[in-house]
Amino acid sequence: MNTSHENIFSEEEKDILQEIMNIAFGNATADLANIIDIYVVLNVPDIHVIGVGDLPKYLDETIKLKGESSIVEQKFWGDFNGSGLLVFPDRTGKDLISVLDHNEQETFERPLAILEQEMLVEIGNILIGACVGKVADLLDTFVTYSPPQAITQTGESKTTLIESFDLNQSAIIMKTVFEFEKKNINGFLLIITNSECIGWLRKALNAFMESYE
Amino acid sequence: MIFHQIFEMVNVGIVILDKDMKVYQWNRWMEIHSGISGKKIIGNALFDHYPALNNKWFLRSCKSVFAFGNFSFFSQKLHQYCFPFKPVNTLNCKFKFMQQNCTLGPLRDENNAISYLYIMVQDVTEVAAYENKLVEMNSRDGLTGVYNRKFFETRLREEFERYKRYNTNFSLVMQDIDFFKKVNDNFGHLAGDYILKSFASTIISRIRGADIIARYGGEEFCCLLPETSIQSAQTLAEHIRKKIEGMAFDYEGIKIQITVSQGVAEPNTRMSTPDNILKLADSALYEAKKTGRNKVVTHIIGTSPEQASMPQSV
Repeated sequence: MNTSHENIFSEEEKDILQEIMNIAFGNATADLANIIDIYVVLNVPDIHVIGVGDLPKYLDETIKLKGESSIVEQKFWGDFNGSGLLVFPDRTGKDLISVLDHNEQETFERPLAILEQEMLVEIGNILIGACVGKVADLLDTFVTYSPPQAITQTGESKTTLIESFDLNQSAIIMKTVFEFEKKNINGFLLIITNSECIGWLRKALNAFMESYE
Repeated sequence: MIFHQIFEMVNVGIVILDKDMKVYQWNRWMEIHSGISGKKIIGNALFDHYPALNNKWFLRSCKSVFAFGNFSFFSQKLHQYCFPFKPVNTLNCKFKFMQQNCTLGPLRDENNAISYLYIMVQDVTEVAAYENKLVEMNSRDGLTGVYNRKFFETRLREEFERYKRYNTNFSLVMQDIDFFKKVNDNFGHLAGDYILKSFASTIISRIRGADIIARYGGEEFCCLLPETSIQSAQTLAEHIRKKIEGMAFDYEGIKIQITVSQGVAEPNTRMSTPDNILKLADSALYEAKKTGRNKVVTHIIGTSPEQASMPQSV
């Protein structure tokens, strides 16, 4: 890991970001349960800063992508911009039907492949949106989103995914492990932002701290 | 003023809803395609006019827009449309309704609070029609017009998964035209092509709409019969066998007669992949070929094709 990337943020700034993520994810969890009946546990996030060039290696090591993984990717724009990645290590598309509280009968008519995609995209949109949205709230900004994309055949799409990042930049990775209560479905949520918004992020982090002082 | 004109003029439908799901704005595009004037719908609940939208997906999306400032996407690929409008300006349109990409998003007031959401409706009927055409072209066999092997394998996988999940039965019939090489050698390749086409259309005339026939290889075809017991599949195969046997295909005045060998199989609980059933059907077909051709061999569960009796053989 390249130390020049690690030094983009001071330890204190990383702590603040960590704290913001904790609050944001807490809010997101509560609202998801109260408003949309989705019960998800989001663990304490890890924050890493790495070169975008190291991203493929990082993804490989963290996610241990297998042929059967499913990924949903959604880009977001604004002062705070980047990508949200929701990764299910095993092929869980079908099981997600139960998370969204649809009974199988009403979804029976649709071909399985389409249904799986619908579930993935829907869950991805909700989780990424909720988490990114709450982080943005705390940083006093808002973001807009591109449509989420399901990437189920990881081999080729993974390369395309990585190519969509600018390799010369630093990436701030916020990684959390999540689990749907009582469903035995879990995965990773990664929020990746690039160094373009690091200047803004640092200011926003400091502003966040000042509001508490 | 200018913004309002743009709102009315864009070639996109824009609806604005308040938190009670009442229509707050309804632009001209929406008026034209829905046939409902703004005057009539503004202030009313959207679901009074479009009850089908009052479903879990749509409500959840609206809630997540209001709660998280999320954007929600109803893509044509997954949902076809949100608003059932008539398709317009599309020649040869096979869609009953205009195909739409719809986006839901938050609208914020000066305090950054979300009290409205917008729905943007984009007409993508033409793109969807082209795409369907491409998909169709990519799933058909160029010569005979029946499905190709790639499409067949995808459908087989889906049917196999359905079987695993819901235990819905299905059957497979593998078919091979006997001594096809002789047709080519004796009458030329064009005659061979003609036989392949006529054979395919004969089968199509015997199967149901939900059944799939595909050209599997040179003169090898395969029928996938959803929700069909192996007994019914065997009966169908026998009908086909008799029909083909009794036909004289007329190629430019030359009468050509052919026969067909068929192998029938159904899935069982021990199978883990769709290839297993293909293999069974294929070995039953091989058996039919080996034991005299122009016959149907059915693979009965628990027996290997060699052991299976062949009461249907001719």
